[in-house]
Amino acid sequence: MTTDNEPAATTDPVPSSPPAPTVVVTGSSGWLGQNLVRALVGQRERIRCLVPTDDQAAPLALLSPSIEVVVGDVRDPVTADRLFEGVGPGAAVFHAAAVIHPRRGTREFFDVNVGGTQHVVDRARRAGAARLVHVSSNSPFGVNPSPDHVFTEDSPYDPWLGYGRSKHEAELIVRSAHERGDLPTVIVRAPWFYGPHQPARQSQFFRSVRRGRFPLVGDGTQRRSMAYTGNLVQGLLRAEVADKAPGNAYWIADERPYELREILATVRRALEAEGLPTSGPQWIPLPRLAARAAEQADRLLQRTGRYVQALHVLGELNHTIACDVSRARDELGYRPTVSLEEGMRASIRWCLEHGEQL
Amino acid sequence: MGDLTTEVLVIGSGAGGAVTAAALAEAGRTVTVVEEGPWVDPDEHEPFSLAEMVAKYRHRGAGAALGNPPIAYAEGRCVGGSTEINSGLYHRLPEHLAQEWRTTYGIDEFSPEVLDAYADRVESQLSVARLPGAPPPSSAVLERGATKLGWRNVEFARVFSYDEAGRGTKQTMSRTMLPRARAAGATILPDCRVVDLVTRGDRVVAARCRRTHPGGGVERLTIHADHVFVCCGAVHTPALLQRSGIRRNVGNGLKMHPTIKVAARFPHPVDHGDVPMHRVTEFSPFIAIGGSASRRGQVAMALADTGQPIDEAMADWENISTYYAAIRSEGSGRVVAVPGLRSPVVTYSLTEADLSRLARGLVHLGELLLAAGAIELHPSVTGGRVVRRLDELGTWWDQVTRSRANLMTVHLTSSLRMGEDRRRTGTDSFGRVWGFRNLRVNDASLLPDAPGVNPQAAIMAIATRNCDHFLADA
Repeated sequence: MTTDNEPAATTDPVPSSPPAPTVVVTGSSGWLGQNLVRALVGQRERIRCLVPTDDQAAPLALLSPSIEVVVGDVRDPVTADRLFEGVGPGAAVFHAAAVIHPRRGTREFFDVNVGGTQHVVDRARRAGAARLVHVSSNSPFGVNPSPDHVFTEDSPYDPWLGYGRSKHEAELIVRSAHERGDLPTVIVRAPWFYGPHQPARQSQFFRSVRRGRFPLVGDGTQRRSMAYTGNLVQGLLRAEVADKAPGNAYWIADERPYELREILATVRRALEAEGLPTSGPQWIPLPRLAARAAEQADRLLQRTGRYVQALHVLGELNHTIACDVSRARDELGYRPTVSLEEGMRASIRWCLEHGEQL
Repeated sequence: MGDLTTEVLVIGSGAGGAVTAAALAEAGRTVTVVEEGPWVDPDEHEPFSLAEMVAKYRHRGAGAALGNPPIAYAEGRCVGGSTEINSGLYHRLPEHLAQEWRTTYGIDEFSPEVLDAYADRVESQLSVARLPGAPPPSSAVLERGATKLGWRNVEFARVFSYDEAGRGTKQTMSRTMLPRARAAGATILPDCRVVDLVTRGDRVVAARCRRTHPGGGVERLTIHADHVFVCCGAVHTPALLQRSGIRRNVGNGLKMHPTIKVAARFPHPVDHGDVPMHRVTEFSPFIAIGGSASRRGQVAMALADTGQPIDEAMADWENISTYYAAIRSEGSGRVVAVPGLRSPVVTYSLTEADLSRLARGLVHLGELLLAAGAIELHPSVTGGRVVRRLDELGTWWDQVTRSRANLMTVHLTSSLRMGEDRRRTGTDSFGRVWGFRNLRVNDASLLPDAPGVNPQAAIMAIATRNCDHFLADA
């Protein structure tokens, strides 16, 4: 366990129950899952982890003898059975397995994000899990209507394209499982996150910001809520224990949303502070028209089942996606302690330690 | 060449048309019902048999919505329409849908309370009942599997009446509403196809028909009417309106419940005389799981869907029954009347989410059937894996593709839609076609979306409501 992954220690006490000695984590080899599992090591007796392929099993299993890795496709009913085999009642389940940038077209969003959620929810209920914490997203809510608007827990659903529709349906499945009365669930909605164990696309982000090649759409005053993985892990762990949480959904992000131009300037500062001199302009200015064209192209392609990551990301950059974390503060005792610059530096350090060329 | 005059002309005699005919005739109106299909004695054919299919289904049960993949659909073409051939499951329109439709389409007098009052009335006129005694083995399979997995399931009520020995008779329109209409003076003309409607300004003045006589001769018949109700179902109602030059919001937005099937083999015989009345509701509103008619012919057709030899399994057909997963679909379709063709061209597009939902439904259906003791599962997927163990089920996810899934539906709706929002609807809140004073639609076409459950109850309640409105108005 490194300090980068440590969840912030200071949380205000809200009424809560003791954490479960046994936990089940899906998506354990993912960006968030890796951070979560490391935070759980040493804290829990058994950590049952689901990963999709064999090559991701060994690095996790080496972390701690308390980790038990199950390899399988989350869509497969037998995988779900094996994941919960012998887990026993009272476990906490963190469902973090999902596809965000599909390789095989938009169908994958629904197969994995909806189909996988249904299996995990179903097995968690049959196993008598104490609580299921479901990792959701801003995408079931689309984009804010104006740059000064923030989503709250009362905002209406308005799913954004294939990913948003799949995560929306997954939320409905989780909610209806709670309403059945035999599986308490909590939904945690995280926006764009950053932090250690990042996938290659995030290194690419650092490289382009460092060289002044990242596009800034419009004047850059559109805002983004972002979540440092350490903050997010704290939110998930609070959702597991807070007495008020079951049946609810919470936005978990850094303390406040940032303007996009502030994010880019901060990342460049963080790169410099980690000894990586930046070059070029702060960013490449891009007219809003270009982002709108990308968004249209993304929409048309997704309608035919195709997905092009670059178009999707560029289309989204035009918009404000911001949320208010007040309810998580009040009801979960969530206290995001890591700031943007601090979190980005931790993220950059992790890349360098793992031999990434930024 | 004949001429006939009536006060009210009802075109079609299914759940919408039969209700309309009975309500208006009993209110003292002079009613004539025309039905394209034949009158078939309801006791003549064994229920759910292939002989019944040939006699009562349009195209002998082999219609298809074109698209990728195409979706086969079945509809009745006989006096009583699809109520003569369906499984008779009865489910009121879910309350949240009534609320949603009311706001989205601006439908007046469409609160859950209003609809419930009409459903009460329909139920007092039909017999809606649960099975007395134990369910047949084919239905018990659903209950057993669901209970084992902790999935919610219900035994649906059906429009059946049961005698003291527990023998059920489906209360089809030919046994209920149509005799009532006739007793109140209505005339029913079977084998009479309406070619088009004659309009003058904002009125329909007549319907031009072709009537086939038992001997085979065809007579042209013109029926003059003060009021016309088109009740030909979600495919043929828009087609007739289009043939009559009425096209605004007519035929687009077709909805259905795309359905994928499994033929399941058990180590013991399953009954084949009835259709399962249990439904798994665990995955509602997205997916419903249930059972289909499984006489020898249906079992053979279901087995053939994998495209693999069926002889070995057919030798054991008495141990095989068919089950399905039906989805609420995001996609939609179109009905287009083509000059010179008797039947319209129907198209339907499934979204990627729909396909995924079908795959998911198939996998859940497989889990359920294995839990219930099935030993072999044949999916309706060309080249689909015949599954014998749970660890083989996951392969179905990637086998359910546009080119391999064999899909069907028995529920078609929404090809006009009712409501005051004229951009989205083809009729007002009570089925009156926009732009016409005396032309109304009163069938499944009016439902703004597929209801996720068997639509017969919703169609009948809405048709009764629209008749009340008509009687108060005209």
